[in-house]
Amino acid sequence: MAASRRNTSQRLTLAILLLASITVITVAYKGEAQRAIGSVRNAAADVVAPLQRGVAAVLHPIGNLFAGMAGYGGVLGENQRLQLEVGHLRRQLIEAAQSQSQLDQLRSEQNLPFADGIPEVLGEVISSPASNFDLTIEVDRGTSDGVGVGMPVVSGVGLVGSVISAGQHTAIVQVLTDPRSEVGVRFGTGNVAVAVGQGEGDPLQLQDVSETSVTSRGAAVVTSGLDLAAYPSGIPVGTVASVHHTGGSLTSQVLVTPLVNLLVLQYVAVLQWFPPA
Amino acid sequence: MSIRTWGRLVVITLAVVFVQVCVLNQIVIGGAHPDAFLLLAISAGLVAGPQRGAVMGFALGLVADAFVPTPYGLSSLCYVLVAFAVGLAAGTVTTRPTFGLQAATALLGGVGGTLLFAGLGTLIGQPSVPHHQLVVIVMVVAAGCVLFANPAYRLIEWTLAVAPGAYRDAGAFASGSAR
Repeated sequence: MAASRRNTSQRLTLAILLLASITVITVAYKGEAQRAIGSVRNAAADVVAPLQRGVAAVLHPIGNLFAGMAGYGGVLGENQRLQLEVGHLRRQLIEAAQSQSQLDQLRSEQNLPFADGIPEVLGEVISSPASNFDLTIEVDRGTSDGVGVGMPVVSGVGLVGSVISAGQHTAIVQVLTDPRSEVGVRFGTGNVAVAVGQGEGDPLQLQDVSETSVTSRGAAVVTSGLDLAAYPSGIPVGTVASVHHTGGSLTSQVLVTPLVNLLVLQYVAVLQWFPPA
Repeated sequence: MSIRTWGRLVVITLAVVFVQVCVLNQIVIGGAHPDAFLLLAISAGLVAGPQRGAVMGFALGLVADAFVPTPYGLSSLCYVLVAFAVGLAAGTVTTRPTFGLQAATALLGGVGGTLLFAGLGTLIGQPSVPHHQLVVIVMVVAAGCVLFANPAYRLIEWTLAVAPGAYRDAGAFASGSAR
């Protein structure tokens, strides 16, 4: 009798908690509740940000210790300077390669926004993905620094992703490889497509690439500025890793290796650029 | 649960927030990191039984969801189910679980909880994680759970003021009469 009552009580508790969880998920999905939860999350991120910065400051040198046991401070500084320099050089190379094929088009579209002329907010990555199921990073710059939702985020090498949430002092950036990330890109000879993330460590996949599109392995891929202008045009995204023509299909499968190593990001720049209304 | 117990729960929740957000999130192995909240939910089920474990899992999930961009409430749903399942499975254990049993529970709970989270996420429209990445996540989370199973277990014991070795029958825990 007691066991039966206990079982009933347990099941009732489970049912109530499941119902409560499902209600929370449903209510939080849209509208005012979603905005309220966004505010709570931003506030929570702002509260823990100083602690994260402190711990990151402790953990980064420890991590770097393994990379360079002797004189790691000097090596670290030199390494960062060289990475930045290499990034700029690689970006220049890709932009140069792309510029020839775009020259005629750019002449007729002189008002195209370009990444070089956009103001930047430099920030430090203070947290890797908070969830194992979302590819996001957290940076130590927020709305008080001029960072807003939708702004593109780049490193010295190329596109990192875009801001999906911004608190007062921190912002969450969805990186390119997140399966929800979509970037309009231009590649090869005047080809355009949408690059979709496929998960951590996997290349981006270009969607709806016509079989007649001309491209080759190693070709530069840059933002097109055409996908409802979610990103300004001309930001390097990656290089073509492989092109597969499937028999009987009108499309090709094109994979792109991102230029930015998203696993080891330490500093990024948020472009203060909003999509045109 | 008494006010004192809830007070302790608040303290360990804050501690776990710090550990997860500031430390564990920085320890990325193959794109994944350990999940302290899930481990605590597992331990809650093991120590407190299905009923109180599920309640604690729900509360932990609500806090965890404030720090991740996944749909709010998804962690709660997952932790409730995990804690309840662990509590039910451990219901026949009337003595203090051995270290091996704690580790085995943490392993199974870590694997099951991660797969459950991924499955529930897909059900409500979240993009699915590639299989090979899911394998890595499961392995990292499960390894973290096993590694810290005993400290987490003791932490929940302290929170619920359950004296080590003074276990009663599973029914007493389930009905909330453990001191």
